[in-house]
Amino acid sequence: MATACTGRGLSFLRSLTCHVRGTALSGRPPAGLHTSAALEVNKNWERRNLQLYPPQLPGEPRRAAEVHHCRRQIKYSKDKMWYLAKMIRGLSIDQAITQLEFNDKKGAKIVKEVLLEAQDMAVKNHNVEYKSNLYIAESHSGKGKYLKRIRYHGRGMFGIMDKVYCHYFVKLVEGPPPAVEPRTGLDQAQEYLLGLRSRTVRHSL
Amino acid sequence: MMSLAGLLHSLRRSLLHLEGKLLQSAGFDGHLTPALALNGPRLQVQPQQDEHLDEDQQSPEQAPSILDNIMWMAAPKKRRSIEINRTRRRAVEKLIKVKDNVVPCLECGHLKQKHVLCGFCYEKVRRETSLIRIQINAQEGGPLKAPATETVVLYEGEMPGDQDQDKRIVERARKRPTWFT
Repeated sequence: MATACTGRGLSFLRSLTCHVRGTALSGRPPAGLHTSAALEVNKNWERRNLQLYPPQLPGEPRRAAEVHHCRRQIKYSKDKMWYLAKMIRGLSIDQAITQLEFNDKKGAKIVKEVLLEAQDMAVKNHNVEYKSNLYIAESHSGKGKYLKRIRYHGRGMFGIMDKVYCHYFVKLVEGPPPAVEPRTGLDQAQEYLLGLRSRTVRHSL
Repeated sequence: MMSLAGLLHSLRRSLLHLEGKLLQSAGFDGHLTPALALNGPRLQVQPQQDEHLDEDQQSPEQAPSILDNIMWMAAPKKRRSIEINRTRRRAVEKLIKVKDNVVPCLECGHLKQKHVLCGFCYEKVRRETSLIRIQINAQEGGPLKAPATETVVLYEGEMPGDQDQDKRIVERARKRPTWFT
């Protein structure tokens, strides 16, 4: 009786996996199975490269090529990596690589490697003609999976030390970097006022 | 070494003693008690024995626990919100400044900072220098055997000139590099 039950359960699971295998989401466990959060890793940024658009119509403006690239579990702090990611946002790829080359931070070397890999991927796989004709559209850092260790204090006290890891994400888009208008304090103040004035008061008299 | 609690207790006692001395000099009898008997909190300073007894009993009013006596140390009043933290961490002076002093090297074409030697050219000179040093070490054969004369480096097909008569010659088995004049 028990073996029959397990046999039916296994065939049910197998039918689920067979259904899912054909799609690009086959890395995930089947819908009926529950796994712990520690084992499930989010690979959404890599999946963005697999998106396919329908062929463009003759009159449409040419859609710019995009490359998404990331590096996971870098032994660095996400807050420190954020400063580097913020520095290169909106720069052209050559400018970004130059700035990272002359930066003394540990993360600068890693980000430069990621940018060069992404540039290479863009030329080989994503139909980018000129490797310099790319700019950094998005760049940010994320928290990786931390390891926990004990930090010994005096008087028998202890603290839990986190060994920090981070991810770094970058999106390169073909074309010259878009010109950014510098926002003055006056512009920010006017925007704030506009936001306040465009509020709607609901359920009022 | 005195413990923190003992140190603070002795400090408190010395402050109370000083207060008593000041009151005596001001003209009081030594105790801040009213003339008539009143119903209220104790104002008389307790004698030494009672203090010791109270300390042993660990009464909550007098016992100087570590947590209560640190009353003049700075501590944050409220937890800093994430908005406050972000404004501090992302302030313009804390962001990394974009460098504008990067130029291409005229010799090799790699990028360099204006006030710094080109890294590529420095590395190529460093490599050749280390090979020359290996040659010198092979010639000398041991430490502290450097001659008291100048050294001149000669490459393939070169003869020592008029000025190189008294110098020690180090030979390198390759063509003279273009940058080595």
